[in-house]
Amino acid sequence: MKRWFSVFMAAVLSIGFLVGCSTGNGGKTNNGSTKNGVTTITFWAAPNPTQQVFWEDMAKKFMEKNPNIKVKVSPMKETPTSEASIQAAIAGHNAPTMSENINRSFAAELANSKAIVPLDTLEDWDKIVSGRKMENSAESWKFSDGHQYVMPLYSNAMLFAWRIDILKQLGYNEPPKTYSEVLDLVKKLKQKYPEKYLWAKADLADPTAWKRWFDFFMLYNAASDGNSFISGKKFAGDKEAGVKVLQFMKDLHDENALLIKQSKNPFETGTSIFTDLGPWTFTSWKDNFPEMQLNKTFVLSPPPIPDGLKTDHIKTYADAKGLVIYASATKEQQKAAMKFAQFVFSNPENDLELLEKTSLLPARDDLTTNETFTKYFNENPQLKPYAAEIPYAVPAIDNAKYNDLQTFIGQYAFNKAVKGQGDPSKEWDDMAKAIEGALK
Amino acid sequence: MDRKMEGRLGWLFASPYLLYAVLFFAIPLVWSIFLSFTDWNLIAPVFHFEGFANYWKALKSAGVQSAFFVTFKFLIIFVPMVVIISMIIALIVHALPKFKGLFLVGFFLPYLASGVVSSLIVKGILSYNSPINTFLRHVFGLDIDWLGTPFSALFVVAVIIAWKFSGYYALILTSGFESIDQSVYEAAEIDGVNGWQRFWKITFPLLYPALYTVVILSVGVTFGIFTEVYQLTGGGPNYATNTWQMEIFKQAFTNLQAGYASAIAIVASIVTFISIYIIRKLIELWGKRNGWD
Repeated sequence: MKRWFSVFMAAVLSIGFLVGCSTGNGGKTNNGSTKNGVTTITFWAAPNPTQQVFWEDMAKKFMEKNPNIKVKVSPMKETPTSEASIQAAIAGHNAPTMSENINRSFAAELANSKAIVPLDTLEDWDKIVSGRKMENSAESWKFSDGHQYVMPLYSNAMLFAWRIDILKQLGYNEPPKTYSEVLDLVKKLKQKYPEKYLWAKADLADPTAWKRWFDFFMLYNAASDGNSFISGKKFAGDKEAGVKVLQFMKDLHDENALLIKQSKNPFETGTSIFTDLGPWTFTSWKDNFPEMQLNKTFVLSPPPIPDGLKTDHIKTYADAKGLVIYASATKEQQKAAMKFAQFVFSNPENDLELLEKTSLLPARDDLTTNETFTKYFNENPQLKPYAAEIPYAVPAIDNAKYNDLQTFIGQYAFNKAVKGQGDPSKEWDDMAKAIEGALK
Repeated sequence: MDRKMEGRLGWLFASPYLLYAVLFFAIPLVWSIFLSFTDWNLIAPVFHFEGFANYWKALKSAGVQSAFFVTFKFLIIFVPMVVIISMIIALIVHALPKFKGLFLVGFFLPYLASGVVSSLIVKGILSYNSPINTFLRHVFGLDIDWLGTPFSALFVVAVIIAWKFSGYYALILTSGFESIDQSVYEAAEIDGVNGWQRFWKITFPLLYPALYTVVILSVGVTFGIFTEVYQLTGGGPNYATNTWQMEIFKQAFTNLQAGYASAIAIVASIVTFISIYIIRKLIELWGKRNGWD
């Protein structure tokens, strides 16, 4: 019996291993191919129905003019995370030819693993960049190895929103610009409305890596004039600017201006008067908070800055994502993918469609000057400040260890400052030490 | 039918489960063990064998250490809480003259509820500007940060999970109550036993098989907590609710460190196995003292 059991288990295990190791197609990738002169490419759209609709429409229009290329659009899975589903697809030899929804940090991890193609090595890259008028935007996406791995698709320059109706009650007609002006405002706010806060956000005290994009990096990019936080494999943070950001948060804590407890719609309900805001919020406001109107209840501004800095062209964080082409695709597929990208990006009408369908701001340098978009921005004035800020928005760091590095920012510095703990200079040094250790 | 034929039939009938176990348990286990000794992120063309480096890294990491201690803190709060609540429900239902089944189904319903939905509801109820917190602040001057302080965050998660599981465990305990022979109680009544003695000296020890099941199941639950923590606290504040599953998820699916996450999963499974074994032995010891072998 023992022998039978051993034989059975060995057989099942062997079959299982062979099945598990097989790609199911004789070792070739399962991401499309060239057959009868038609090259098939697969495109993974972001797990957002409006983006999927946009890309399906683009694929349809492209295929009408290019019958020898077939573009299959499908949404990427978002469980457990979209990054993990891409990882699983690459590991299982099922990666698409190209996909959107890739930020610069995740792209760094993919590039580090040689899973994506440096786009500047492919034919027509320069034509795509100049055709879309995105020379400046693309430049900020260049990696420290000098290559371009991501085609910028949209760039949401993050801004801060202020409750202008409450500011007016405090005697302000426009939001404060510098740290000391903000602290003065806080004193007046607390005097008149002791139960209101400047910024209500539990995430401020949460060390989760991505949360730093929407607090620390907005303030740090503004304070440091967009100084690189990581350069290649070296920590390059601007200590003076960083310490000022931490001190500002500590001062806000000391003035009881931060609410770091879970609260429901604090900005919309007036519990707080300041919040980081992306353009995607307006769709939900239209349905749930129609009273939120630009210049009536809220205004938008770049991040506040330390005293003494110039108050124009303030830098911020760019919540930006783009397209990548996977290294597992064949040369024909890579060529076809570039042709598809060139088709989409060569016509500003396509970017207008992206804007109309998704409210995501195309990563173009001429968004505010190109007449194609004028009518749209006149009808949607709340998006104008975002478009104007695109040239001053800095995308995420290009380091494969971004998750660890950004966790350290929260753990050693930012989360402590918002809780009013420790000395900002020491916190910065502790954070720098941890980051340098991880980069080794 | 001869013995040989019987044996073959036995293997045939067991083969679907064996195949399932091999495909979804044995192979992933072997694969995880292999990964745990590498630095592979599953997408790089090359990987390196790192020996026990991932294990040392895990043992030294704040995330893993917190997962270890948080699980036991959670166990100390959750297991007595869920056993007591399910016992009370079972006692009430057992004493009902009619509609026992209906009430049990009612208490069982939370078990079927989505952890995501219940967590989001609780998140809304406990938010700073919820009616409850506004009332507490204005009437009693109490400003409680339910999910922002270590103990209360852990306690809130324990309460949600206890709410979810107590109806299910009450079902098991009710069947335990029903199986106790009434003649034992009649004999005790003749001997002049009061209600207190009746429960602690007769009902409780005779409930051993059902209690054993409930305690072991609830201990198992504590090692698998994820959804509620992920939705409510993300493992915070300051790792106070960081469970094993949360840490594995973070490393595997956020940091994409498949090798390191596998090492944590192996450590977690060893800790789980040893803990459940010790708790099982302790309960069996108590059972033996009460005449259960």
